Amino acid sequence: MENTIIQTFDLCKIYNPDAVPVHALREVNISVAEGEFTSIVGPSGSGKTTLLNMIGGLDKPTSGRVAIDGKNITGMKDSELIDFRLEHIGFVFQHYNLIPVFTALENVAFIMLLQKRTKKEMDERAKSLLEAVGLGERMDARPAKLSGGQQQRVAVARALASQPRFILADEPTANLDGDSAMNLLDIMEKMNREQNITFIFSTHDQRVIDRARRVITMVDGGIYSDE
Amino acid sequence: MYLKLSWRNLWRNRKRTLITVSAIAFAVLAAVFMQSINRGSHEMMIDNMVRFHTGYVQLQDYRYDEEASLDNAFPYLPETETRALQAHDRITGVIPRIETFMLAGNDHTTRGAFVLGIDPEREHDFNGLRDHLSGGRFFEPGEDKAVVTEGLARRLELAAGDTLLLIGQGRFGMSANALFEISGIMRHPLHEINEQTVYLPLHSIQYLLSADEHITHLLIALDRERDTRNVRQALQQEFQDDELIAYTWPEMMPELLQLLEFDLVGAYVMAGVLYIVIGFGFFGTVLTMTLERMREFGVLLSVGMKRSRLAGVLLMETLFISFIGVLSGLGLSWLVLYYFYLNPIELTGQTAETIIEMGWEPILPVSFAADQFYTQGIIVFCIAVVVFLFPLLKVMNLNILEAARK
Ligand SMILES: Nc1ncnc2c1ncn2[C@@H]1O[C@H](COP(=O)(O)OP(=O)(O)OP(=O)(O)O)[C@@H](O)[C@H]1O
Ligand SMILES: [Mg+2]
Repeated sequence: MENTIIQTFDLCKIYNPDAVPVHALREVNISVAEGEFTSIVGPSGSGKTTLLNMIGGLDKPTSGRVAIDGKNITGMKDSELIDFRLEHIGFVFQHYNLIPVFTALENVAFIMLLQKRTKKEMDERAKSLLEAVGLGERMDARPAKLSGGQQQRVAVARALASQPRFILADEPTANLDGDSAMNLLDIMEKMNREQNITFIFSTHDQRVIDRARRVITMVDGGIYSDE
Repeated sequence: MYLKLSWRNLWRNRKRTLITVSAIAFAVLAAVFMQSINRGSHEMMIDNMVRFHTGYVQLQDYRYDEEASLDNAFPYLPETETRALQAHDRITGVIPRIETFMLAGNDHTTRGAFVLGIDPEREHDFNGLRDHLSGGRFFEPGEDKAVVTEGLARRLELAAGDTLLLIGQGRFGMSANALFEISGIMRHPLHEINEQTVYLPLHSIQYLLSADEHITHLLIALDRERDTRNVRQALQQEFQDDELIAYTWPEMMPELLQLLEFDLVGAYVMAGVLYIVIGFGFFGTVLTMTLERMREFGVLLSVGMKRSRLAGVLLMETLFISFIGVLSGLGLSWLVLYYFYLNPIELTGQTAETIIEMGWEPILPVSFAADQFYTQGIIVFCIAVVVFLFPLLKVMNLNILEAARK
């Protein structure tokens, strides 16, 4: 594979090592290349969220390490990681993605404020991203006034705004009805196809799985299949 | 945009924020008001005491404090007066007095009396003495008559026009007895003085006591209270070779000051309790504002917001609340104080009677001193800083994943 972005090396995560240990990840080795559209699937408790958290630098492995663009993020300090995430990774969570007191536009612009972009750049980019996710008309609405699907599309726009190397999405469609889920997937796919944005997302939803180009199946903390 | 974030966060729960803000405003109002009334009445008391009793600064013979006797009076010549007036440019006047104790009597009884030799013009300029006459008239300069305070007049059954007998001792044991026609009766604002005092013209008492050109006290009038210490210093300097000593009013009335301070401590304790209660309410608001947003904080840290940035946003929220609270509290206080300044609170009942008895107006004066306004601001600001420690700790120690799971 050329242009590998993400690589994990014998990634292990054990929760409660002292009491009843839970092996959430067992020596996981995967690599993801630029431009992939990959989904991670598997039964509940199989370790999908844990894996995404490790890759996103939100949690530390018990052993093994994660490299992003060849850079080992496992050894980074908390404050370094925060900056690293801001510059390199886009996040879409299952829910509570957005700042409730900000409008859609402000939510997208905010991430660029954290990156200290200029006001003009923030405004223009936020607007064009919201138009790209089909929310050109709802830019001034606060999250509470948006549907779940619209909120997730704002979250995708926000994740893209920082111009990350890839986007991590943990069950982005779990709270959405079927149509909204497909609509969100359409947008993600389009971004992937047209702008070569790398996506990694976990899901339970078979229709979402069908749209992925690579499916990594996890069982009990290990990789069961990768196709 | 960070400011916008803080500001909007405040109004997420409008009612809660408003309650907190008004609680702070109320605390500020109550504290300012309590202090103001307290200080107002203290200022009035001090002013009365200073004007009628001691002056801001006073010159005495240095032995007088040990032995308050006429033997320790000091010579008061026109030159003494000039030097005193020129000692400091904040001195607006000097008021000479002789104070002594004598027996005052009618034709069949006598009583102990506090006898004061004064210059009626200067006393009046300093404390409006003549305005307190309740009968007859004040003696003119050069007239050989007496003014008696109501309490003493009542005890001796004397009235204006009657004859007053004074028996006592002058300087160096000379006997001093005389009869004076009473020109007027006055009601003195200070109760103790009202019960036992006789006023005589300075020259009459000097003659009577064989103390020509001598006085026991020289009161110094100032145009600003806060120059008291400097003026004392200057007078000390000027008169140190004359064996005179200058006292400030707090030195002359330590008991009064102590009493007032004690009174103030009471007010401070009350304000303190008030602020503790308000502090807890404020803390409660900030606590819930923090706890209910842990998940949101988790997301913000996940996507790359620095902890210090987030803490900054929360600090702004805390400060906003306290600023709005303090500003509205101060605005309110100002209005309320201004109202009571224009329309003083009239006291009624027992208290009022006691106060009228003391010759004071039965009102609660308010103080407008500026420092009590900003002191409250500073106190609330300090509370805000303490209260802010909680969200600060929370954000600094926040575990992103745990926050996201809640
Ligand atoms: N903080 C934690 N403490 C202890 N055990 C945990 C913790 N987080 C996850 N686990 C355990 O680790 C295992 C993997 O959890 P994980 O959340 O990664 O699964 P998942 O595949 O995302 O499941 P789901 O599909 O339900 O989201 C599970 O057995 C889970 O109970
Ligand atoms: Mg999960």
